[in-house]
Amino acid sequence: MIQKTFLQALLIVSAFFLIWFGLSQVDFMKLFKVKERTTTMEQKLGDMIWNQIEDTEDIVYNDSITKSLDKLLKPLCDANDIEQDSLKVHIIIKDQINAFALPNNHLVVYTGLIEDCKRQEALQGVLGHEIAHIEKNHVMKKLSKEIGYSVLLTAAGGSKGGEMAREILKTLSSSAYDRSLEKEADISSVKYMMEAGINPKPMADFMYQMAQDSNIDKAMYWIADHPESEERAKYILEYIKGKKIKNKQTLSEKDWKTFQEKVGNQD
Amino acid sequence: MIQETTFAYNPGEHEREKASNSYLMSLVALIAGLPLPIINLLATFFFFLANRKGTYFVRWHCTQSLFSQLALLGINSASFWWTVSIIFTEEKVSNQYFAYIFTVILFNLLEIFSTIYAAVQVRKGKHVQFLFFGNLTNLICRK
Repeated sequence: MIQKTFLQALLIVSAFFLIWFGLSQVDFMKLFKVKERTTTMEQKLGDMIWNQIEDTEDIVYNDSITKSLDKLLKPLCDANDIEQDSLKVHIIIKDQINAFALPNNHLVVYTGLIEDCKRQEALQGVLGHEIAHIEKNHVMKKLSKEIGYSVLLTAAGGSKGGEMAREILKTLSSSAYDRSLEKEADISSVKYMMEAGINPKPMADFMYQMAQDSNIDKAMYWIADHPESEERAKYILEYIKGKKIKNKQTLSEKDWKTFQEKVGNQD
Repeated sequence: MIQETTFAYNPGEHEREKASNSYLMSLVALIAGLPLPIINLLATFFFFLANRKGTYFVRWHCTQSLFSQLALLGINSASFWWTVSIIFTEEKVSNQYFAYIFTVILFNLLEIFSTIYAAVQVRKGKHVQFLFFGNLTNLICRK
């Protein structure tokens, strides 16, 4: 009797695993169009948040400024097979030192950050960091973790859109990613820069400069929410130690200064 | 899967009703507790406790009903926590996840249909034994 019972248990368990294994051979991801649905949701969310920003913030539409920023991005994209046209880069007039990525490849930079970077390489490092968040899908990972897929789906569906857009914007613009994701984005940015022949050291210097600034304001999100900025500077320097560093400058010193002045005049 | 045999004695009307209710009880609890699988197990367990001093026929069917619920608890809990981890963590949906959910749905349906069948047959006084769970009950439930 015991043996028979045991055999029957084995039969049921085997049947379960066999059915599971059999069904696993079906490509449900393709069948249910999971990827397409996720992409659509990301597009809707990104555009919804961007519309929210456009309604409430002052955006820089000055061609010479946006062109200069595009020039700074170009070597990073070209050298790393990143489609520059897929990035939707925006500059917001605000004195906060901040930059962040939104769903659907939106990259937002505050004028405060551009003005505060002593060297163009530091700004390129920050841009590379945000591009890495976009490229490695950190944006949606963070949102699904902190806000939840069901809420995101509701937001993308349209109901309570405005309220949700503000909430998502707050999550993405004012709080840091997981430590591991931040490190991944930092190192990726350094790799992008090295691949493009840009010196990543000014990026580390920028972090040191921020970390050591005793007057650091709460509004300086990009650094204030990254309490380990000194540690980040250290591991960046550690990563580039012993590696051959090129020193290509994308903009001439004069153009960089002009760019910063123009950005400053927007305030 | 389901075997109809003769019981050691012919159960009375009252016994048939109680035994049949144990399946109905587990069925209602199973449907009500599907999102949180522990609910159906608790409900069946309390029903089992209430009837553990009943006649042999009643005890036997309450025990079989409890065991079959217990098996579902494991697989349903795994699907519940897998889904939670997809919603709240970085875990992603995959073909394996969908396959698991469909297998679990299949086993739940099988359980629902066999429970309804058992409830009807037991109410008629017939003795219904499920594969494995019937044998297990025979091993545990003493006259």
